[in-house]
Amino acid sequence: MPISKHFPTWRTLRITVATLVITGVLAIAGAAAVMWSGWYDVSAIGQHWQASYSVLEWVKRQSVRRHAGGRTPVMTPAQLLRGAVVYREQCLQCHGAPGIAPHAIGLSMQPQPGPLVHMLQRWEPAEIYWIVSNGIKMSGMPAWRYRMSDSDLWAVTAMVMHLPDLSPQEYAVLQDSAQETPALVEQTVLRKPNAPRGKIAISQYACQSCHHIPGTIGGDVQVGPNLEHYGTRQYIAGYLPNTPTNLARWLTSTHEVKPLSAMPQLGVSEADAFDIAAYLLDADQAK
Amino acid sequence: MKSLTLLMAMMLCACHARPDSAARDQGKALLASYGCIACHSIKGLSVNGGAGPALEDIGKNSYLAGVLPNNTDAMVRWIVAPRAVSPGTAMPDLGVTPAEARAMAAYLYAQ
Repeated sequence: MPISKHFPTWRTLRITVATLVITGVLAIAGAAAVMWSGWYDVSAIGQHWQASYSVLEWVKRQSVRRHAGGRTPVMTPAQLLRGAVVYREQCLQCHGAPGIAPHAIGLSMQPQPGPLVHMLQRWEPAEIYWIVSNGIKMSGMPAWRYRMSDSDLWAVTAMVMHLPDLSPQEYAVLQDSAQETPALVEQTVLRKPNAPRGKIAISQYACQSCHHIPGTIGGDVQVGPNLEHYGTRQYIAGYLPNTPTNLARWLTSTHEVKPLSAMPQLGVSEADAFDIAAYLLDADQAK
Repeated sequence: MKSLTLLMAMMLCACHARPDSAARDQGKALLASYGCIACHSIKGLSVNGGAGPALEDIGKNSYLAGVLPNNTDAMVRWIVAPRAVSPGTAMPDLGVTPAEARAMAAYLYAQ
């Protein structure tokens, strides 16, 4: 029996491949046409399709499960009190609390942040900590690890874990007893400046929103000066000789160095400032 | 009423005072003669040093010297008296007159 009776002939193979290629090209052309035409509505008024929403939720779940890990420390009542303060100051505005609506900013977001009372049903404590710490891209959930100490991250995790136990009245009582509980004292870690960590810090302090910085992703902006080859510059902000220590000082104490500067003071910690300086002054930063 | 007419006339003049090529050429010559290129790179002029920022794209910057919103009047103020605008700056006062600074600005923005 000839082979062609068992296997597709060259002709059918060619037709199949051509069909797949043409379909692929048409699909890409169609997608490009939709993007080019401006047909897609980027407004935050229109909700996502349920299918997109569900797929995104699923991707988020799988991703967090894969990335989060580690052991959950034992939570203490002191942590819960501190967590209540952090929750009130940072989470409430978008997520609300038992019996309390989110503020305007939370109500106006798309997708909506939603309440956190059911977090413990869906996530492990270490996953909640991971989400608070790292945020979720494209969802509006910020990463808090550059804004909060690790002890505060765990404190607010404790608070989120405790939410399902709280009636609106009990939430109010907890906030009454928490008042202004200060942050639990944390040891400052001395560490060597590190360029890769500096690169993350750069995006967390939004440096690339105003400056062009090699190796970071951003729009074409010249709100602040271009920081390419920063190591070759002689002065920082036209004021200080360009050294790592001076650059760190500029980043932590911007308005002390140059009171009239349009560059805002961003609350950069000293350790982060030295990391950022290490990255900016690293001649190989773009690689 | 008279002062209003005068004001309107001035505004019209301001609108029409577009830097012409003569002003740009003069500005280019001034940028060279005042030694600006000792510290800054400027299109069409040979660079001698890099103490100050590159100025090829200065028109796109939001701020001048990190202090003033970027426009011609601010540029003139800055070139004429850098230390009055930003007291600790490494940029020296070079004794540039406002008219000269305006010509320099015309060239810098037209690069």
